[in-house]
Amino acid sequence: MADPKGFLKVQKRELPKRRPVSVRLMDWKEVYEQQESGELRRQAGRCMDCGVAFCHHGCPLGNLIPEWNDLMWRGEGRQASERLHATNNFPEFTGRLCPAPCEASCVLGINQPPVTIKQVEVSIIDQAFANGWVTPHPPERLTGKTVAVVGSGPAGLAAAQQLTRAGHTVAVYERDDRIGGLLRYGIPDFKMEKKQIEQRLAQMQAEGTRFRAGVEIGKDIAWDDLRARYDAVIVATGATVPRDLPIPGRDLSGVHFAMEYLVEQNRVGAGDKIADQITAEGKHVVVLGGGDTGADCIGTAHRQGALSVTNLAIGQQPPAERPEHQPWPMQPTLFEVSSAHEEGGERVYLASTVEFLSNEVGEVRAIRVAETEFVDGRRVPKSGTEREIPADLVLLALGFTGPEREALEAQLKVPFDERSQIERDAQYETSQPGVFVTGDAGRGQSLIVWAIAEGRATASAVDKYLEGSTSLPFPVRPTDRSISV
Amino acid sequence: MLSDRDSTADLAPIPSLLMIAAVHHHLIRTENRMKVGLIVEAGDVREVHHVATLIGYGASAINPYLAMETCENLVRSGMITGISPEQAVKNVIKALGKGVLKIMSKMGISTVSSYAAAQAFEAVGLSHEFIDTYFTGTSTRLGGVGIDVVATENAERHLSAYHAAGASSAHERLQTGGEYQWRREGPPHLFNPETVFRLQHATRTRRYDIFREYTKMVDDQAENLMTLRGLFTLRTGTRPVVPIDEVESVESIVKRFSTGAMSYGSISKEAHETLAIAMNRLGGKSNTGEGGEDVDRLLDPERRSAVKQVASGRFGVTSMYLTHATDIQLKMAQGAKPGEGGQLAASKVYPWVARTRHSTPGVGLISPPPHHDIYSIEDLKQLIFDVKRANPTARVHVKLVSQSGIGAVAAGVTKALADVVLVSGHDGGTGASPLNSLKHAGTPWEIGLAETQQTLMLNGMRDRVVVQVDGQMKTGRDVIVAALLGGEEFGFATAPLVVSGCILMRVCHLDTCPVGVATQNPELRARFSGKAEYVVNFFEFLAQEVREYLSELGFHSLEEAIGHNELLGVDRAVEHWKASGLDLEPVLVGPEFDDDEPRRNRVPQDHELEKHFDNQLIAATADVVEHGGTIALSLPIRNTERAVGTMLGHEVTVRKGEHGLPAGSIDITLTGSAGQSLGAFMPAGITLRLVGDSNDYVGKGLSGGTIVVRPPADATFAAEDNVIAGNVIGYGATQGSMFIRGIVGERFLVRNSGASAVVEGVGDHALEYMTGGLAVILGPTGRNLGAGMSGGTAYVRGLERENVNDDSLATGELLLQPLGSADVEILRDLLEQHHRETGSTVAEGLLADVEAAAAEFVKVLPRDYAAVLETRKTAADEGLDPDGDEVWTRIMEVTGG
Repeated sequence: MADPKGFLKVQKRELPKRRPVSVRLMDWKEVYEQQESGELRRQAGRCMDCGVAFCHHGCPLGNLIPEWNDLMWRGEGRQASERLHATNNFPEFTGRLCPAPCEASCVLGINQPPVTIKQVEVSIIDQAFANGWVTPHPPERLTGKTVAVVGSGPAGLAAAQQLTRAGHTVAVYERDDRIGGLLRYGIPDFKMEKKQIEQRLAQMQAEGTRFRAGVEIGKDIAWDDLRARYDAVIVATGATVPRDLPIPGRDLSGVHFAMEYLVEQNRVGAGDKIADQITAEGKHVVVLGGGDTGADCIGTAHRQGALSVTNLAIGQQPPAERPEHQPWPMQPTLFEVSSAHEEGGERVYLASTVEFLSNEVGEVRAIRVAETEFVDGRRVPKSGTEREIPADLVLLALGFTGPEREALEAQLKVPFDERSQIERDAQYETSQPGVFVTGDAGRGQSLIVWAIAEGRATASAVDKYLEGSTSLPFPVRPTDRSISV
Repeated sequence: MLSDRDSTADLAPIPSLLMIAAVHHHLIRTENRMKVGLIVEAGDVREVHHVATLIGYGASAINPYLAMETCENLVRSGMITGISPEQAVKNVIKALGKGVLKIMSKMGISTVSSYAAAQAFEAVGLSHEFIDTYFTGTSTRLGGVGIDVVATENAERHLSAYHAAGASSAHERLQTGGEYQWRREGPPHLFNPETVFRLQHATRTRRYDIFREYTKMVDDQAENLMTLRGLFTLRTGTRPVVPIDEVESVESIVKRFSTGAMSYGSISKEAHETLAIAMNRLGGKSNTGEGGEDVDRLLDPERRSAVKQVASGRFGVTSMYLTHATDIQLKMAQGAKPGEGGQLAASKVYPWVARTRHSTPGVGLISPPPHHDIYSIEDLKQLIFDVKRANPTARVHVKLVSQSGIGAVAAGVTKALADVVLVSGHDGGTGASPLNSLKHAGTPWEIGLAETQQTLMLNGMRDRVVVQVDGQMKTGRDVIVAALLGGEEFGFATAPLVVSGCILMRVCHLDTCPVGVATQNPELRARFSGKAEYVVNFFEFLAQEVREYLSELGFHSLEEAIGHNELLGVDRAVEHWKASGLDLEPVLVGPEFDDDEPRRNRVPQDHELEKHFDNQLIAATADVVEHGGTIALSLPIRNTERAVGTMLGHEVTVRKGEHGLPAGSIDITLTGSAGQSLGAFMPAGITLRLVGDSNDYVGKGLSGGTIVVRPPADATFAAEDNVIAGNVIGYGATQGSMFIRGIVGERFLVRNSGASAVVEGVGDHALEYMTGGLAVILGPTGRNLGAGMSGGTAYVRGLERENVNDDSLATGELLLQPLGSADVEILRDLLEQHHRETGSTVAEGLLADVEAAAAEFVKVLPRDYAAVLETRKTAADEGLDPDGDEVWTRIMEVTGG
């Protein structure tokens, strides 16, 4: 730590500005402007290089945050990039998409605003790409062992990159037509432009990872056939089954899962032609669910030209400050104004949707909502509070319940646990030897940073399975969870 | 020359220490060792400890080439700036050399040739066979791993440098480590994010369930080879379970707990008082540490610290301080940094800290490694005697560090009449402790405690003393293990600090503690979030956990459990691959004792207070002490009478408080030879006139009284040419005056912080570490005057420059000046007093023409001290608050603090 008193000299957080709402609504580009480098260094200099770096623990990847904060403070961007990549395969993704549990656990956060760790991270990697410091690291020799990774989201890609570099021959299977999983089709461009994926895939290809887009395992190739063809198989298929809302009117036209909606817009963004695209243009839009996916829908709807956007959440409005029951260094649930929220729309809390109402042609025209009441700890609609909200497009962003199980169960005979996740042992291995599960498919819906951490750990487990020993890092165990009581 | 320079992907380097020791002992066995010198050239040498061990096992010279090259590279690549590569490398070598020198000094070794091959080390966790083969003669009491494990670990290290099977080494530069700062892939630490969080949250919300999660985590980690105690099993089922309702209460158990000695100064007022308030509420004990205690806290039953520490610096150790102690702790060593003193950086000596320590704001304070009045166990016995007279009701603790041979020391200390022996384990220490000591010095308390218990029992003196233990105790299980090994009271430092908000930043020495614990910076202190309630919760939870263990083990009270080491087992299959060779029997199994042999303290020590000389003084002066007036006494004295005036002083302080009696209230003339510690800790209002001569330690800790020593009127010798009093006169004095007509021994006025003294000649090392007060030396001085002197003034007649401490002169820290006119007046006044009190003919001669005489004197003045006084005076003249922020900034500028 170069400046032991940095945190006293600079007491405020400084983050890059978002582009003006009126301007950014006209395009799909990322909303943040570049941060001035002096400002960034000043922020990095606030890091206290703690004796017990809680940030480093708060980060599932175990990012060496004090190390690269110091390097950025010193202006050693290239070394910072090295240290960052030592624990994180894809900082360009986490630097944009991660909710930053590191910042929630930053020691400075006990009594001062935490270090802008995520901003430092994204600056390191952006600088590294811009300067050509991100280069392929192909293995020096091949082991001759083969690994199939099924699913090309962050967990699968992380596992693939680690194993490729360890000398294994890795093929990544993706049922969609493009590689990237949720990163590709779930995340709107205004949060992360797709060039971020492209430049990373270019590196991976140069390292020797093979990509098989448009191949669905379980359908195009049976799981057991795949297992027979490869020395090891990693299931990284995510938790893709969306949580439904089985209330009257669910079948009406105009009621969609968020992912159906977001995927189509991402395809259009990629230049595809979609017939009958689900669009918010000229519509009253209601988004159910107060999470990040809900916010993605809001931002997308505004860019498509929605007449109005209403976001309903069943819970209470979270507090602006850390509540007592979520003490430091836990990640608190806070009321946040993301860029999408800033762009417009109304946020309604304690709103329980009772019915989707139809027009004469079977399209949704409104929803009926009631205030939420807590009865015996359960949230139920409070009678007599019902009202209608006009809605031409309803998007369900209510989370995901788990992986799609039929093909896996039928063809691989892997058991699922009571939470409908695929069962796995401490080494990410299923009851089928050589078949591993990583990311949301094993953990349930989670954060991208957990996905990458699991992918890295699974790679280590697979390497050990194939070679008898491994020098790959194992950042998290399948049972690890974020710090909490 | 033994070198690892040729290591390759296929040839792993042998660890340099193993390499040198193996060759060294082989050459000894073949009787060839004297024919060669051994030089080590190795890449794994980078810390002081590495160099020390290499020399200790026979290296004549060492080339730490990789450390040097790394350093050079750091400069060349711009990671370190402002220095040339050559100079940086030189600095590394110098630092390693100085570090070794410091270790040698801690071990009491003066020359490298005495240290070379001296093997002044103890091994922990290495097998006897391995030690016998390669490190012949080194103590390794617990056994442990052999060459096979060393080889495996070596191979692992090598593999991390040269990957197998051609894997890419993308982004895998050197690992980040984690020895000192916790990292996930580094070595485990008992305090990590999960345990710190749970401990804080449990105690802040009073959630015992979360506390149990915390202790489980710590205890489970301990089983992973992090501590010795983690390897023991508790033999429940040996005795019938006692229902929990019948087990001693929480309220009773907590009285055995204390917090560690952390000074006000090292930690903030807020943190210090929080611990004190909590312990006072519980009926446990907090500890002042080595920084004294403000009078308002001394007298406040809520905020006082029951244990007053007396360490080598003697900061703030006055009659008042000792009189208001429940226990007095003599710190002989610290577990975390045995053999070392302490220091408080200038930047932490804020005005309020300086006041408590009787020192100067903005001037750094050094606590020397040894007590200057202790060079033998007899001297320690004398100090125990002295402080016991300074407060007859206080228990006297002696704090020892766990290491080989502690049993014998503990037995000696018990014979020296300590009431409490504290065994301090190696793994304590704050962020301010030297890293080399934190990691490499001392042994676990488990070993030291077991040895202490066994030795005390063998010598039949276990019942006379209370055994206390500390060193990273964190859980109820730790307490139980300590009790079963013989501990009766238990000290905690880091854990209650964590409860108070410490998050182990390890910047205690930088004054930047972001949670207001180890800082004096007002802005940071405002961030302190600890509360006494949390600390109370912690100790109550701890006691509750202890109760649960007691119940399971079949004891009604903690007292019953003490010393029952048969309930500790080592039968757990130690699963860790590195633990297979460990043998804990030596910790557990000692000599056989009868069942009725006492295992704990049962009787108080006999201090023979009723035989003390002062009893007659106290009786004779009772009326004056109570009602005022004056009294003069005249008595004969013999040199078996020690600490004369100390117990009387205690009586005065008890009744009259900080300022004692009006000057001249009690005037005692003693005729004969006085024993040691004449007038020690004596407060204002008492004058001791000794006609004759005295032993060592006259005026030790003098707290306002006056001491006059002169030869008999009929003496035929020249007083100024003869020694009249012994060594270490006025050590740690804070106030008062001494007039001594004659020459005194070595180390005159060590650590004086406020008394004035006139003497007619001194031995070596006078004025060492002095921080305040005034010395007038009318005759010859020995060598090395003023070493570490950071405050106060001395007028020395005929001072020869070569007799002044070299370093202080070289660095410019000590100024030698002619006397100014104000000085002359002060000198005149003291000479007059000296002449009046002692009849000194030297003083008389000088007074004949003071102006002329003054020219013979040299004024010795510490530079920073002078600068600070000047700055404060100027500021006061400008109408500024000398203790305010503005002045503090100016002080930091002039001292560079």
